[in-house]
Amino acid sequence: MSTFDEDLILLGAEAEQAEDILSRLAALLHSRGYVKDSFRDAVVEREKLHPTGLPSEGVYVAIPHADPVHVNQSAIAVATLKEPVSFSMMGSPDVTVGVKIVVMLAIHKPEEHLQLLRNFMKLFQDKELLLGISEATTRQRVYELLGGVVSAQTVTK
Amino acid sequence: MKTTFNVLTVCGSGTVSSTMVAEKLKEALAEKGYKITTTEVKPQQVESYAEMGSYDFIAYTTPVPENLSIPAINAVGFLTGFDEEGFLEEVLKVIEQINA
Repeated sequence: MSTFDEDLILLGAEAEQAEDILSRLAALLHSRGYVKDSFRDAVVEREKLHPTGLPSEGVYVAIPHADPVHVNQSAIAVATLKEPVSFSMMGSPDVTVGVKIVVMLAIHKPEEHLQLLRNFMKLFQDKELLLGISEATTRQRVYELLGGVVSAQTVTK
Repeated sequence: MKTTFNVLTVCGSGTVSSTMVAEKLKEALAEKGYKITTTEVKPQQVESYAEMGSYDFIAYTTPVPENLSIPAINAVGFLTGFDEEGFLEEVLKVIEQINA
């Protein structure tokens, strides 16, 4: 089961470029011991090779992550962005999208990642929910809206 | 007419979104009367797998090399549910060409 709580949410963050917000979210996860020292660089490098910006209904989302070897314990950190930040699109690195929500996945087991991704794909089709997260003015509200998606995972191992 | 297709699904890790694409593809094409078998791979493995000659097409969420011997279709819209129709149309087009 992944950890997700209000302390892992950055609300209305400002970032010039994708790497800035990746670093801040990675630092947040690292400060609480969820990820190893190598996690931040691994996420940044992976995002260059295999970008994770996703087309969604209205609000673009990115789901940066890294190989499980860089993770101590599964956790999810989330940032809502004040202004959209340019991410390359998954499957089409030449296309960039203005991302408003970044969901950083630090996942220890691939099967857990799969279930989480299934839940998130439903989220990405829910325009109301995405708008709600993007426009939330408190971390508590983001947690309320996203908490259900995260905790709906059923992990078998 | 061929009704069983062997598909390579590709993502960055070769484990997560490739598995999701594989699951969804099997389900979606079963409704149309096709049976799909899949192998999930990383981008670096695509060329050698494509050359085996036993795969019909590729569905990818991370870019694959150009000029492969089999068709490659971007599956990101299918993964997110944002453009399932567009992806499935492309898949059916490839299947029609194989059966032509």
